[in-house]
Amino acid sequence: MATAAGTLPQYGTHTGLWSWITTVDHKRIGTMYLVTSFSFFILGGIEALLIRSQLAVPDGNVIDAELYNQLFSMHALTMIFLAVMPMAAAFFNWMIPLMIGARDVAFPRMNALSYWLYLFGALLLTSSFFFTAPNSGWFAYAPLTTLQYGPSQAMDFYVVGLLILGISSVAASLNFAVTIINMRAPGMTMMRLPVFVWMTLIIAFLLFLALPPLTVGLIQLLFDRNFTTHFFIPDGGGDPILWQHLFWVFGHPEVYILILPPMGIISEVIPTFSRKPLFGYSAMVFAGIAIGFMSWAVWSHHMFTTGLNPIPRAIFAANTMLIGVPTGIKIFNWLGTMYGGNIRFNTAMLFAVSFIPLFTIGGISGVMHSSPPIDGQHQDTYFIVAHLHYVLVAGAVMGMFSGLYYWFPKMTGRFLNETLGKWNFWLMFAGVNLTFFPMHFLGLAGMPRRIYTYADGMDWGFWNAVATIGAFTLALGVLFFIINVFASLRKEPTASDNPWDAPTLEWATSSPPPEHDFDVVPPVRARDPLWYDRDHGIARPEPTDEHIHMPPPSYYPILLAAGVLMLGLGPLSSLAVTALGVPVILYAIWGWALEPTH
Amino acid sequence: MAAEAHAAPVHHATSTGTDNRKLLMWLFLASECLFFGSLIASFLVFKARMVLPPFPHAREIDSSLLAGLPEVIQEQCAHVVSDTLVECHGILDIPVTSASTFVLLGSSLAMVLAVYGAQHSRPGMMKAWLLITALLGLTFLGFQVYEFRTFGSEGLNLSTNQFGASFFVLTGFHGTHVGVGVVYLLSLLAASFRRNGLGPEAGFHVETAGLYWHFVDIVWIVIFTVLYLIPS
Amino acid sequence: MTTTEHHESAAHEGLGPRQYVTIFAILTVVTVIELWLSYSDIGGLLIPLLILLSAFKFVVVVAYFMHLRFEPRILNRLFAGGFVLATLVLFALISLFWNDITHPLG
Repeated sequence: MATAAGTLPQYGTHTGLWSWITTVDHKRIGTMYLVTSFSFFILGGIEALLIRSQLAVPDGNVIDAELYNQLFSMHALTMIFLAVMPMAAAFFNWMIPLMIGARDVAFPRMNALSYWLYLFGALLLTSSFFFTAPNSGWFAYAPLTTLQYGPSQAMDFYVVGLLILGISSVAASLNFAVTIINMRAPGMTMMRLPVFVWMTLIIAFLLFLALPPLTVGLIQLLFDRNFTTHFFIPDGGGDPILWQHLFWVFGHPEVYILILPPMGIISEVIPTFSRKPLFGYSAMVFAGIAIGFMSWAVWSHHMFTTGLNPIPRAIFAANTMLIGVPTGIKIFNWLGTMYGGNIRFNTAMLFAVSFIPLFTIGGISGVMHSSPPIDGQHQDTYFIVAHLHYVLVAGAVMGMFSGLYYWFPKMTGRFLNETLGKWNFWLMFAGVNLTFFPMHFLGLAGMPRRIYTYADGMDWGFWNAVATIGAFTLALGVLFFIINVFASLRKEPTASDNPWDAPTLEWATSSPPPEHDFDVVPPVRARDPLWYDRDHGIARPEPTDEHIHMPPPSYYPILLAAGVLMLGLGPLSSLAVTALGVPVILYAIWGWALEPTH
Repeated sequence: MAAEAHAAPVHHATSTGTDNRKLLMWLFLASECLFFGSLIASFLVFKARMVLPPFPHAREIDSSLLAGLPEVIQEQCAHVVSDTLVECHGILDIPVTSASTFVLLGSSLAMVLAVYGAQHSRPGMMKAWLLITALLGLTFLGFQVYEFRTFGSEGLNLSTNQFGASFFVLTGFHGTHVGVGVVYLLSLLAASFRRNGLGPEAGFHVETAGLYWHFVDIVWIVIFTVLYLIPS
Repeated sequence: MTTTEHHESAAHEGLGPRQYVTIFAILTVVTVIELWLSYSDIGGLLIPLLILLSAFKFVVVVAYFMHLRFEPRILNRLFAGGFVLATLVLFALISLFWNDITHPLG
């Protein structure tokens, strides 16, 4: 069985830097996404540790107020746009074509383009540290972003960085939507798609529909700062609240863009290690779709304190409560999957199981804030910080780590070490709770967000110290993961095709898969196809000697991304750079269109 | 099954029967709906709150508001209604913009004829109508340049008021889309003069370009109604 | 000839240059009516009528010039989904601002 896959000759196997720059292989692009996003995860973590060091004791003086503002803003931007979203994209790249039985994504070169745009946008945004980094929070409320209150170029970096990252995300999401809708293996009907694939499809739609409003807001901000308009400047008749609306029309679907992929991951991990099919598959899928729809009608709950009419306020409050229902359905389905199952508690499963209660804590405090009076009490306190980190760190990040342990053998052919993995898990589990649970108390005790220090007499010192200890515990856990990866990569590859006895198609090929993914595209006869074949004694089809055509490498994606970067550098340097970017883009697109792909 | 742009013509079996590239274009256009929707929403938000001229449509205002405004703008509000009220004339030139609207509408007709030519193996027809479509697009852009310059000479620019800002950004981005479309069509036209023309999938390529072009046209249908025809 | 092209040319066999010109004529007439309406004094009916007419033009271009009427249902639904969402968000945003009587929280 293990030797059946990968026996066909591999076409276009290359090594060296140039092969990575020109690759259009979804697995290699996935690896680049993974390494890059993890690097930014470390960077965002270091920013967080600096913040926590500053807040560890009253009247801290590790960093000054200005740097603090840059750090908390960049921490959010880095973690959201440069770490968690692209880490989800890494899993999409690696796993979606394998899970639906395709040989690549629908548009391999566009996939490479998405990666290069992400890398360039991320480097651009991060390079702002050499000047002034964005310092008005990730949501960049006007008037802090106007020239009057933000004369440095920090917000220009923000605008241009997010615009480039936005193009990258739209390209990637369109690509994955087409791939999932159109590239499924024979027999892989929509209602047989693994839940992870379903969640990817939903967030692909959320991404390419939610990013345009943000893009419009960013363009207006760009014009306000560079071309004399007053969209968000009250003095000229503008309205800062318009920015908030445009931002949160994007920003709330964004929350689900961050959390649905980890939900999809644990919906794969929990059935595999409970040795039971997912409980309530259709309910799971429809709950995801419901979340996708409802996420469009809740954005103003971020803005209750700006003052809304009673009727829209009631609508947004009610919708925010309602969106807890499909989320609750998911939680009960995971519990139902484990109930009566033959559970293996390895590291991947531990991370997945811990997701459920930890995410529930964050989810429930979210429902609390759907009530406008309560929201008014908690607005801009550490209670909100606790809520969002329970969702995004205790939820999303723990889910991502579950995916890393689960799919590492498929990606590399090697297992991650379980002993180091247990250390990794328990340190992170203790770390997130130590860091973020005390923030509930701090918030209720009135500690505001985004303050760079606090006085001794406020009585906030103890829980802040605990949170800082927690943050370093969390960091230690991540360190164990890094050690684990390097140690495991030095081992001999021992992973068989399907070491976990998992039900989905990515395990129906060798570990790691050949460049063409499958020697024979596996026919799908049921949901959980590998379990169906196992139970019915159906062997994997023998490879036939057909020539499998894979698209050749191309350097046009990186060239096009460079052209877009030049376009964006204009507002930061001189518009001549923008003008130079246009011919680069045109050349790249023409070359791209005329390039033979077979 | 490497379905990439210009994939080998042997594989087109997709799960839904629709070509990947066509699906991509439609999803992209859905995304564009939200882009222009947000721009139009911003315009309408500010439309309800315009205080100072120039206005898009004729409107009466308190004459004291004129104090301190540039002369070129004050001249637009020369019509005295009463002791305290003056009427400012609307800056939008509906007849001229109607002409450019018909030009864009006509370009859509030219586009479908180019698609028809491409799909029915009539390269001459395709090339001629592609060229006409692009020329009509350029004519539309010419009208837009004229309009922008006229507004500029009447004292309306990005910083004058919220009407100026949201008008120029909205129609400017629409114009940029038209410009991209013109480049797209001319590229196809240039490529069609190669030895193999646009290849075995000529009809498909022109049709996909057509989807983009028509979308830009329907966005203008909405903009023309919302900005130009609906009064203040 | 690819399978796609067979499928497509079969799908809109009915539409030729003559039909396209007819559709263009209809669009032109509707635009002229819109212009005429905007210059005539019909009061409160004007805005709903204009929106109705431009929606009609929108649908005609999408259905016939862009062939959406002859495409598989999935394309219809996907694009219509994006368009409806855009419209709803647009209306929600505008109504939030146009009824902007800000009340204190509570």
